[in-house]
Amino acid sequence: MAARVRAVGRHEPLVLGLIGSLGFLALWQAAASAGWINPAILSDPLRIAHAFVAQLASGQLIADAEVSATEFAIAFAASLVLGIALGLAMGVSCTLEYTLDPFMWFLYSSPLIVVYPLIVVWLGFGFRTVVMIAFLLTVVSIVVNTVAGVRGVDPALVQAVRVFGGNRWDVVRLAVLPSAAPMILAGVRIGLSRTLHGAVLGEMFGSNAGLGFRMTVYGEKIQTSDVFVPLVIFVVIGVCATAVTRAFERRLQSWR
Amino acid sequence: MTRRAVTGALSVGAFLLLWQFVGSHQIVSASLISYPTQIVQSMGAMIASGELAANGAVSLTEFAYGLLPAIVAGIALGLTLALNRTVRLLCDPVLTAIYQAPAIAFVPIVVVWFGIGMSSKVAMVFFSALFPVMINTTTGVEGISETWVRAVRAYGGSLFHVVTKAILPGALPSIMTGVRLALGRATVALIAAEMYASFNGIGRLVQQYSAADRAPEIFVLVIVISGFGYACVLFVRALEGWLAKWRLEFEQ
Repeated sequence: MAARVRAVGRHEPLVLGLIGSLGFLALWQAAASAGWINPAILSDPLRIAHAFVAQLASGQLIADAEVSATEFAIAFAASLVLGIALGLAMGVSCTLEYTLDPFMWFLYSSPLIVVYPLIVVWLGFGFRTVVMIAFLLTVVSIVVNTVAGVRGVDPALVQAVRVFGGNRWDVVRLAVLPSAAPMILAGVRIGLSRTLHGAVLGEMFGSNAGLGFRMTVYGEKIQTSDVFVPLVIFVVIGVCATAVTRAFERRLQSWR
Repeated sequence: MTRRAVTGALSVGAFLLLWQFVGSHQIVSASLISYPTQIVQSMGAMIASGELAANGAVSLTEFAYGLLPAIVAGIALGLTLALNRTVRLLCDPVLTAIYQAPAIAFVPIVVVWFGIGMSSKVAMVFFSALFPVMINTTTGVEGISETWVRAVRAYGGSLFHVVTKAILPGALPSIMTGVRLALGRATVALIAAEMYASFNGIGRLVQQYSAADRAPEIFVLVIVISGFGYACVLFVRALEGWLAKWRLEFEQ
């Protein structure tokens, strides 16, 4: 008996969370079916599921998802490589950090949404603009965190590698990267949600393809259930991205 | 002057000079990148014509109408969630999911619900500011040590006293983190909603000038919005300092 109580206690967040989520969906559905809310404006879970199946069958959803996924992947991969490289360089060289610091600070703190019209002017409407916006949003958070991580490395560790005859590259590989890894990873986690943000933003305002663009099209036609399909996909991606990086961070911690 | 400040100032100065040279000599077309003096001129013109003030006032009003209720509601809901474990566990997945989705993805649906006018902007600001405040309040309250609560109880304090004398002051740093996040998110949400569909406001100006390919005016708006974001950061920092002092006096 005690064991069972303990087992329920351990799974309590999961069980209650499941009940809460299903209850939320059931309540929404019931309110719509009973006519308490206008389904044309608020929609309901079943209508959204129907819209999802219809968009899937027409091929529209897959086509848009492919565009969005490609933009997301390119922007994120480029931010990861260039962000960590630039961050390491800025972390190792004070002059470089002081030179670039004001620009990084501006990119990090100002709402980059206003820069999008300039990027549209420079790169045109579409794929390249979306990738650029997502890249700019992401890369800064990775650079800033990498610099902070490198600055926090224990100088004794660097000294030790040097004593054993290590060159600059050895210092980075053996001392800097391992101890800066948690900070870099935190930057990557923040960056991941910023890539998603940037892709949605770019598609909504600077493109004619992708899930974000499709949402605005459905919105203009007031097809609420159709608007919800990409929205739900974004919510799911957001949750998964955070969960995956959190798990990765935990594994890294236990490995260290 | 530190080396950091000198190097930074030199680098920004060099950047501005280079930009001015490249833009004004049409090495790269000025209609694409503009240049600093042209931007300053455009800013003067936009101030003189009154469009910056008129649209700025609209945006500020929408911002205030959405933000203040969001902070109050966020703290209240956050407290409720923190004090009722069962309610919190029930709501957690849905709230986390909404919190982690990009807020601007909700713009089309909010415009369908609230229309093109001011109310959809107020709703977007409220909605995007509510979650950071609420979630950080909950986190802050959970971090309070039991002894504070017990101390107030020991002196015969009611639930009201526990909340005002122990829980709110204890959770304050975390609540302020939520407010700072909320200000940033709300700014982006407001501009996005105005850009998406509106009659006036700073976001509307962004859209208008970008449709006309007017780089100098777009840069002016970049400066205005970034300036507003920076003012928000300074304001929260000042507020934090002031509240920390109040909290210290409180503890003594």
